[in-house]
Amino acid sequence: MKFQLKKIAAVVVIAISLFSCSNDDEVISGNGNLKLEFDNTYGTANFAFNTEYTNSNGEKVKATQLKYIVSNIVLTKADGSTFTYPKSSSYFIVDEATAASQILNLANVPAADYKSVKFGIGVDRAQWELGATGQGDFLAAAQTAGMTWNWTGGYKFVAFEGNATSATLTIPRNYRVHTGKVVVNNVETYNYAEITISFPSVAKVRTTITPQVHIIADAKKVVDGDNKIALTTGTSGDIMSGDRLALVTANVSKMFTIDHVHND
Amino acid sequence: MKTKIVLLLILPLFWNCSDDQDDVYQNIPIEFKVPSNFPPLAYNLANNPPTEKGFELGKKLFYEGRLASDGVVSCGFCHLQEDAFTHHGHTFSHGVDDLVGTRNTPSIQNLGYQTAFMWDGAVNHLDLQAILPFTNPVEMNGDFSKAIAMMKGDAEYQKLFRLAFTDGQINSENMLKALGQFMLMVTSSNSRFDKYRRNEAGGTLTQQELDGYAVFNQKCASCHATDLFTDNSFRNNGLPVNPSLNDVGRFRVTELAQDLHKFKVPSLRNVEKTAPYMHDGRLYTLEAVLDHYSSGVENSATLDPILKRNGSLGIALTAVEKTQLIAFLKTVTDTQYLTDKRFSEY
Repeated sequence: MKFQLKKIAAVVVIAISLFSCSNDDEVISGNGNLKLEFDNTYGTANFAFNTEYTNSNGEKVKATQLKYIVSNIVLTKADGSTFTYPKSSSYFIVDEATAASQILNLANVPAADYKSVKFGIGVDRAQWELGATGQGDFLAAAQTAGMTWNWTGGYKFVAFEGNATSATLTIPRNYRVHTGKVVVNNVETYNYAEITISFPSVAKVRTTITPQVHIIADAKKVVDGDNKIALTTGTSGDIMSGDRLALVTANVSKMFTIDHVHND
Repeated sequence: MKTKIVLLLILPLFWNCSDDQDDVYQNIPIEFKVPSNFPPLAYNLANNPPTEKGFELGKKLFYEGRLASDGVVSCGFCHLQEDAFTHHGHTFSHGVDDLVGTRNTPSIQNLGYQTAFMWDGAVNHLDLQAILPFTNPVEMNGDFSKAIAMMKGDAEYQKLFRLAFTDGQINSENMLKALGQFMLMVTSSNSRFDKYRRNEAGGTLTQQELDGYAVFNQKCASCHATDLFTDNSFRNNGLPVNPSLNDVGRFRVTELAQDLHKFKVPSLRNVEKTAPYMHDGRLYTLEAVLDHYSSGVENSATLDPILKRNGSLGIALTAVEKTQLIAFLKTVTDTQYLTDKRFSEY
């Protein structure tokens, strides 16, 4: 009986150790999908068009458009190694007006536990230097989305438009914030923002699991981040050139935060 | 018997089909030679190597009216080969719906040596240059998605894209690369002046032309530098500002007060054929251009310093020097380029 108990105990121990072994050594292979969801907010409020928000400049802002180019997605695994999503497939336009555009579906992602994502807002210098090479049909998509600048043959990286009033400017004046590659002091200035976001819990990409990473994009920060850029002063509400775009870009680089990761 | 005839009729259809299936990328490179009297090439050939089929596709696109919103205005509509790819006699060209722009059509030649395109240098890659006239509402007013849909429905384009590019895709990238290959290859390097510079047969200049070249080197070549006759800089050459246009020039790109009313120094190759002259086509003859430099230069905050040396405006030129200069400028007319069938629509 004692012997039998010992036997049973041994079997149980072995069985447990086998189970735990298989847990530790879960064979992760193949490719899966991962979704990046961009959820636009305004400060702590949900973001919606034609809704009045007040910024820290005391301006009352009603937006009518918010679009941005997401590019160059790189995922970092829990072990620190990275997976670079193919660059030419890595261009997306997130548009507040189109719900489907706010979820980026990344396919053929190696199954792994991912702990962070890096992405760009805009088109990087390396791409510009290649001319048309590597852009596929993105130019066509951008033109259709109104995200091109026809005076310079380039892209708008961020387009944030609407109207605004202030204590001194009581009649709503339209504003248009457009970032992109411009020339500042005779230097090509790319105004490309790079953002890295760490996940609170790993995103488990498996052949059978498509994690969804919920990213918050705070539209307030476009002109009301570390740099405060007034929409109601000056001769026009157009912010689309010169060194102010570097200020907007610095704000954009800090407007994205992680909310949570779903693994289902 | 009947079956045999039917078979004979059907067979060629199969051959046609199988031919279409064989339309794969044809890597027949076009050798790009930098003439010995030219400055170094700026264009990165490795990034978009020109091939016979890429060039052929680019040429077809260049002359394709269906890219424009009205189905008519192609690139070649305003860029006529016999005028060194300018729009002879047009101060401003008319685009779709008879809309008119504000700048004179620039020449297309030796573009691979340039680092900035358009009169204000708004584009700095040749493969991206075509975006501007293609999408400009007063030029072609084109839409990439519509152009791509048109080409996807056209058997000839389907075939050419497959032959020209490894991925065979009909998309905006390959469309621009093909146009880039065509424009890159449009070279003017065989004028009598070139042959003179390279000590080749036919390179004889008359005494008057040589005198003109000496005057040119002394008084014009600081901006119209190298054998391409441009230093690729932006300058205000003292044209009175046309208030109805108030074209700010390079300022539009840089927004620097110092760049107000500055325009790109154009090449003078084939200048005999590219009238009217200046960014707004205001001068109709070479004589008028030289008269501007000798007596028409207007002072302003951004006037090029070269044009106001020693307290006087403009460039001192005698009547004889003007005649010599014009004789010289006509030696850079390149008949081979102006009539080269490889660049022609038909």
